[in-house]
Amino acid sequence: MRKTETPVVKRSLPSWIRSSNLKLQALLLLIILIAVFARVLPLEMQKRIINEAIRLGEIQLLFLYCGLYLAAVVTATGLKYLISVLQNLIGERALADMRKALYHHILTLPLNFFRKTQPGLVVASLVTELASSGNFVGMAIGVPVASILTLFAFAGYLIWLNPLLAGITLSIYPMILILLPRLQNQANKANKRRVDTTRTLSGKIGEAISGIHEIHGNGSYRIENSRYDKMIDKLYKIRIVWNLYKFSVKSVNNFFNNLSPFLVFIVGGYLAIKGRLDLGALVAFISAQEKIYDPWKELIAFYQVYQDASVRYKRTMEYFDELPEHALEPDDREPYELEGSIEVRDLSFLAEGGIKLLDGINLSLKPGEQLALVGFSGSGKSTLAQCVGQLYKYTGGHVLLGGEEVADLSKKDVIYNIGFVSQTPFTFEGTIKDNIIYSCAAKLDSDEIGESDAMPSLDDMIEALQQTGIFVDVLRFGLNTILVYDEHQDLASKIVRVRDRFKREFVEELADYVEFFDEDNFLYYSNIAANLIFGSPNVESFSLQNLAVNDYFLRFLDKADLTRPLLTHGAELCRQTVDILGDLPPEKVFFEQSPIRADELNEYKMLATRLARTRLHHLSPEDRTDLLRLALCFIPGIHKMAGMPSILEELILEGRALFREDISRDDPGALTFYQASEYIYSQTILDNIFFGKTKTVNPQAEEKIDQSIIQVLIEEDLLETIVEIGMEFQVGSKGDRLSGGQRQKLAIARVFLKAPRVLIMDEATSALDNKSQARIQSLLDTRWKGQSTLIAVVHRLDIIKSYDKIAVMKAGRIGEMGTYDDLIAKEGMLYELIYGKKASI
Amino acid sequence: MNSSMEKRQASDTSEFQENLEILRRIDFFSALSLQALKVFAYLFTREIYKPGDYLFHQNDNDGNAFYILSGTAEVVRKDERGEFCLGKYGEGEFLGGLALLGDMRRLFFLKAVTDMTCLVMSREKFAKAIEQFPDLMPRVLGTMVDRIRSWEERLFIDQDGLCDTCKKKVGVSLI
Repeated sequence: MRKTETPVVKRSLPSWIRSSNLKLQALLLLIILIAVFARVLPLEMQKRIINEAIRLGEIQLLFLYCGLYLAAVVTATGLKYLISVLQNLIGERALADMRKALYHHILTLPLNFFRKTQPGLVVASLVTELASSGNFVGMAIGVPVASILTLFAFAGYLIWLNPLLAGITLSIYPMILILLPRLQNQANKANKRRVDTTRTLSGKIGEAISGIHEIHGNGSYRIENSRYDKMIDKLYKIRIVWNLYKFSVKSVNNFFNNLSPFLVFIVGGYLAIKGRLDLGALVAFISAQEKIYDPWKELIAFYQVYQDASVRYKRTMEYFDELPEHALEPDDREPYELEGSIEVRDLSFLAEGGIKLLDGINLSLKPGEQLALVGFSGSGKSTLAQCVGQLYKYTGGHVLLGGEEVADLSKKDVIYNIGFVSQTPFTFEGTIKDNIIYSCAAKLDSDEIGESDAMPSLDDMIEALQQTGIFVDVLRFGLNTILVYDEHQDLASKIVRVRDRFKREFVEELADYVEFFDEDNFLYYSNIAANLIFGSPNVESFSLQNLAVNDYFLRFLDKADLTRPLLTHGAELCRQTVDILGDLPPEKVFFEQSPIRADELNEYKMLATRLARTRLHHLSPEDRTDLLRLALCFIPGIHKMAGMPSILEELILEGRALFREDISRDDPGALTFYQASEYIYSQTILDNIFFGKTKTVNPQAEEKIDQSIIQVLIEEDLLETIVEIGMEFQVGSKGDRLSGGQRQKLAIARVFLKAPRVLIMDEATSALDNKSQARIQSLLDTRWKGQSTLIAVVHRLDIIKSYDKIAVMKAGRIGEMGTYDDLIAKEGMLYELIYGKKASI
Repeated sequence: MNSSMEKRQASDTSEFQENLEILRRIDFFSALSLQALKVFAYLFTREIYKPGDYLFHQNDNDGNAFYILSGTAEVVRKDERGEFCLGKYGEGEFLGGLALLGDMRRLFFLKAVTDMTCLVMSREKFAKAIEQFPDLMPRVLGTMVDRIRSWEERLFIDQDGLCDTCKKKVGVSLI
């Protein structure tokens, strides 16, 4: 059904009116007609009130006419509102349809298109430029019809009142009709330039933002600023011109419309003085004449919206007017299930400018065979992989996948048979799980998880996590989750059991890496607040953020002689942290070890300046609260910018005992104290298993910890549960909460889970550490060999020995191809790549 | 050692201050301004290693630099011919500055012989921090070049220890 539709970029703006909800449009028209009548009625009433009611002194008539007048005004207002509602509905619907259709179209455009297109531009096109078109569709039927009808109604009424005056009034409109289009034409030209400049501008902004590292790295702020400023200045000039023309359209219109009362006053006044026109008629005429301006104004406004919208619409659609290189779905058959043989014959790929990126490539792979592509960067190995994977459309020769020409396959055929892992895999916002099943979900055409039985099971997913070596990372995400009391009571009690087992089996071994919660000792890896209350809050007023304003707690601090030392400590923390971090950008690296969060830094910066000028006891209560809060967040083992004064440590230990006595007496429900038999809901699962806090970020220690945790989780049969929780971890926008290696592993897991006939890996393991790389390589050697045909672009030469074939590429050609041993024995290009490099250093 | 660590934690001078003092003595960082030095002192973390722990593995591209606060580590290389101990490093030595500057696939293992405490800096942190002080990069590179040159110069001063084949392969400073 979709295939017969015209592509969105070929559609005209008026076609959207036809495809809008015509029933709504008809309803709109009907309401508008009634509204026109409701607008004319007051004029007649006005005349009758003066001519009949007042002149004849008929109170009854006055009430009747005034009542009708009021009713007409109320109806007109109500209808006007209804009209806006309907227009809005129709317009927004059309806008939403346009945005969807254009986005769907843009995503299918060839990769080449995106090389020259900045993301900012696509955003601007979809978000801003189309808005006026939606507006237009909403107005398109109702407004012009209504305005013209009203115009005629008023004009007819005027003629009926006084043909001579009406003739004078209406004579101005032909003049306007001659002048306006000329002005509008100029405005349109400026508008086109504005759209183009805005487009370059948004492209420029997009470029600067995505290249921000380079800009910081080179300190090239000034260069970038001046580029941007120039464009803004250009846009500024264009916008001024555009607006001037728009205003002049309005001004000309206004001028002529204001001219007509002048004519009426002169002629009508003369007639009235001469007694040839009664006063009531003149008043009625003048107010009717004023009213005629309204529909005219609306008509002109509509004209401007139409002009603006069509310029923007055309410009936007023209830009994206390219066709996808491949059909999305096969026309009249199910997607192919191809066997994994690959045959490349005389393949060439010409880039723009006639550069041959690939030239005369020939190779063939039987199903299940594995090919490694090696060579210097720029030799064409990635391009070859991408041509086979249909990411680029080759310009000459053939690529046959299971006997079918790849260029003729639809996208769906390709995703059914090929799994592609790119050099810089993309991670999408969402959970780990969303990202793992991404390829499978795309293949099955379902955007919801669990919609189909064919989706991978939890076991499959876990297996893929293990194969790619991201299992432990995901387990960590799970372990770092804070459970919610209402949802997880069952799990919580199981974790307390894990805690017991952990204590029996690993406490001694891990004592150096973990600080256990101990009522009699100061906890260096917990914050001061936790050290004092030594429990997790059950009420909001005792949460970390609220403690500093909790009156009960503040009284306790006074009683325990802690207020002053904590304030002093807070001040020290504030001064030191601001001194170190004051001018740094809000990046995670800089704030991981800071008690001040990135978003709080400015506040504390100002506080630090005030601290330099004033004594502590002169500070405002708000400042004191901020300092106290800072001191309570202080974790001595992590926030190393300030030492932990030993006197404070002792006071806190004393305070802990005192607080426990007080709160157990005054408000026993407010807290749950840390005790080995209770789950602590304010802490992560890991800290609950430890019943303490980890002291280290040292990878070796983490490995030991992970091993012991995994062991106890297996023994208690909780490993899968925790990993399942970990799979709900939100990876952040573009996966920025994951490391480069983790993102790559996810991308591989995603494709492994799909288990395609043909695997194409374009330097898919380049960001991985040695061990993970070796693990994935051995998996390819054992599990996938013979199962899936593999083309791997390989950067490291020490992992290629086990491939069936190795092709060494140079300048877009295959220099030599064969098994590892043959090529080494030949002492040709591969030999040179491996050993030649050694000799030169 | 553990108890000494605990004692240090409850002290009135901060670890940050101690790190700052140490960094001022390491020539790799000596060219930095005080403000930059403060950021680096803040970003260095303390790690403990037990005998047999690896600070890094051969072939890994870990990108860490280490300052040894206490203890000893040995350099071990493993290849087809076996396992060789190539030397030892101890208290007060700074290792791996080059790994901070760019990809450095390790040519050997660094393994703790005794209990060790080190200050550790990762390449990622270093890169983020040096980004904030772009004018310092040339100076850091200058120091590095100078270090490589004087390393080879020292080699010639005690030339007697060099074997004949080794002599033919000198020339690191010519890279």
